[in-house]
Amino acid sequence: MIKLSDVSYAYPDTDHYTLTNVDLDVPQGEVVGIVGASGAGKTTLAKIISGFIPHVDGGALSGRIEVDGINLPESTLAIAVSHVGLVIQSPFNQISGAKFTVREELAFGLENQGVEREEMATRVGEVAKLLGIETLLDRSPYALSGGQQQLVAIASMIIMRTPVLVMDEPTSQLDPGGTRMVFDVMSKLRDSGITLVVFEHKVELLREHASTVHVIADHQIVASGPARKVLSDPRLEKWAIGTTRYTRAAALAEEKSLLPKSTELPVSLEDSIDVFKGFKNLKKG
Amino acid sequence: MSSTAVPADSKKVRNRIFIALGTIIIIATYLYLVVGQPTDIAKSSFSQAGLIAIAGYVIGAILLAVGAIHRLPTATVAMVPVAIALNIVVGQLVSVIGIPVYLDSIGTILVSALAGPAAGVVTGILTNVIWGLTLSPIALPYAVVQVVIGVMAGYAARIGVFRLFYLAPIAGAITGLVCAIVSAPISAFVFGGATGGGTGAIVGAFQAMGQSLLGATTLQGLMSDPLDKAITFTIVVLILAALPSRFRNRFPFVREYHVFGRKNQALPTLPAPAQKTADAVAADVADATDKK
Amino acid sequence: MPTSLFDNRKSVIHRLNPVTKLVALLAIIVIVFAIPVWWVSAIVLVVVIVPAAVISGSGGRLLSLSLKILIPILLVLFIVQGLTFPGGETILWRWGVLKLTTEGLLFALGVGSRIIVLILASILLVLTTHPGQLMSALSEHGMSPKFAYIISSTLQLIPAFSDRANSILLAQQARGLSLKGSPFRRIKVMLPLLSPLVLGMFTDVEERSTAMEARAFGSPAKRTSLIPVPDTTLQRVLRWVFVALALGAIATPILMGIL
Repeated sequence: MIKLSDVSYAYPDTDHYTLTNVDLDVPQGEVVGIVGASGAGKTTLAKIISGFIPHVDGGALSGRIEVDGINLPESTLAIAVSHVGLVIQSPFNQISGAKFTVREELAFGLENQGVEREEMATRVGEVAKLLGIETLLDRSPYALSGGQQQLVAIASMIIMRTPVLVMDEPTSQLDPGGTRMVFDVMSKLRDSGITLVVFEHKVELLREHASTVHVIADHQIVASGPARKVLSDPRLEKWAIGTTRYTRAAALAEEKSLLPKSTELPVSLEDSIDVFKGFKNLKKG
Repeated sequence: MSSTAVPADSKKVRNRIFIALGTIIIIATYLYLVVGQPTDIAKSSFSQAGLIAIAGYVIGAILLAVGAIHRLPTATVAMVPVAIALNIVVGQLVSVIGIPVYLDSIGTILVSALAGPAAGVVTGILTNVIWGLTLSPIALPYAVVQVVIGVMAGYAARIGVFRLFYLAPIAGAITGLVCAIVSAPISAFVFGGATGGGTGAIVGAFQAMGQSLLGATTLQGLMSDPLDKAITFTIVVLILAALPSRFRNRFPFVREYHVFGRKNQALPTLPAPAQKTADAVAADVADATDKK
Repeated sequence: MPTSLFDNRKSVIHRLNPVTKLVALLAIIVIVFAIPVWWVSAIVLVVVIVPAAVISGSGGRLLSLSLKILIPILLVLFIVQGLTFPGGETILWRWGVLKLTTEGLLFALGVGSRIIVLILASILLVLTTHPGQLMSALSEHGMSPKFAYIISSTLQLIPAFSDRANSILLAQQARGLSLKGSPFRRIKVMLPLLSPLVLGMFTDVEERSTAMEARAFGSPAKRTSLIPVPDTTLQRVLRWVFVALALGAIATPILMGIL
């Protein structure tokens, strides 16, 4: 669905590359997580996958970028946004501001595309139901909590029915409750067949929701693989992303020979319950 | 910053006609009211000067805004509400603090400097429309003054005024001069010189010294506008200097006219395409980090 | 700072198509400025504005809002023009260079009556019309969606930024910053207050425009709208009647040769 080969990019008027030689392959219908420290190039990669680079930011882009069968750099932004949706960090900045109710806010993108009124009303109803925001429809988008605003922002992208949805740190400005709301929506989306690329650094939550994870560090993709394997990699500390306490505890236990060397390190609580079951047995024995 | 919609040629022609017509109507209105001033205007309220001042300026401003808005790409359109909010919030804040200037066009001038005169004109006019719709209807007839600010600040940016710190107040003072001249007929013929306590007293003083109504409002404007705009332009230069250059250089207008001077930075050559697996690269990076 | 003055009620005036109200406002302004005698303004006030305000149920708010704006203006107008009007000949009272003249008072009466109509009619429109509806209605009549976006968006941004400005002001005052002293000093104090506000606002713009473009803003497609704005044949006819009245008002003084 998404195929990047040997992509490098530098912003205009800079003397360094923000991304170098990036390869990425995302199959259709998969939920992919991309982790990286602040400034590693996450937002830049999100913009490349969604077509804003090079169509809006300009700069020096090389390599091949194909999303949903479209060669993005050679296409236009209008075409790109009909194939890839983008959810950004700040819920506040995503609200169009042009609409005074959530209902109209959801329809904003469809109005711009000239979708018929009946069709819009149907889709608004469907999306609101899917995300569980029916009760918010007649409220002002500015009178919502951060988490609710982000759900509205996600809903207003899903309603455009793009086959790919990119989320650039959708929970970084949310409280734990709001973060939970957004990740719950991600699991609902996983079943809808949409290809989802989530840029995040909440390692534990990604472990629960993403199937594959890629790591960006020093302007490159430095590790890729199944979520648990990549997210328990001790090098995450070096890349300033950090591992979870479960990973660190298990690694320590391994070091002290309390766990067998071959143990697959846990990332989430669920993983570690499994791992330390063995640990308990070991202690008894 | 490319716009997705490329307007057809016929629309371009239509927009040019709107802009030209708007400009002509505004200038004609001023000339009619000032140069061709019928003698009875000064003598009584029984004339259509007020209608001509409002209608000429408002129609001219609307034509300019309609002609200009189609040129604006989405990134500029997204900036305009922020600039208008800045105009209004700071304008209100200043009036609360009690500084004897307005400072209600910082946003307009910022937009003009970053996105050109057309964007400044739209920002300016809509500032007064929105101010009129929310806090004070008095602002509405003065929308044309903001056109002057937008256009003059935009061309000032084009000739490089914002490259040198000390040029900005000069450009501001000149802009203020034109603002004072253009706004005088509105103050005189629509509001009878009474737009506020302080300004009203000054108008009265000039009239008592033998000035005509229009002469008095013009002189009153000249006392405050050039100073206000000189300060505002200076503030804008400071803000622009504080904005990240990556943000400023996103604007095609800034790049085309080198609003902040020329900069040429060469990129280093790109490393050879990686022929390894991601994990191998990871090992390299880990090594490199270790050596640090 | 209020986003809009809209007074949410269900009156006939509130339910009118916003464009009908806007055309009526423009016609009223044209009429009182085209026939510049005080009693035309008085008739418009008594026959149109006062009944409309009463029917709308927003009359009380209209009165309190407009008096706040009008009293200082009218006071200054009558004092300044009454005493210093350049065309004043019939002197009623004199004190040095100040002469109270009949012509000055009549001038103030003429200008003042028009300002009263201008302000009352505009505020009544704003009180009875939701800004979102006004924008939708104007878009349906061919206004560029960019105008609608800018106006609606600004109305919702102002309270947010006003809050930010106030919190910055409070924070600075908590750090011992004082807003006393000469105007020059106060400007110097204002600058550090402005910069965090402005930088934050403008760097947000990049994200805002990205989010808009991701939702096809600026797409060349012909726009549709989710919620239609109600309109009636009667209102369509009325709008043309207003236009005709305004044109008639412009022609009247010329035809009658009273100017």
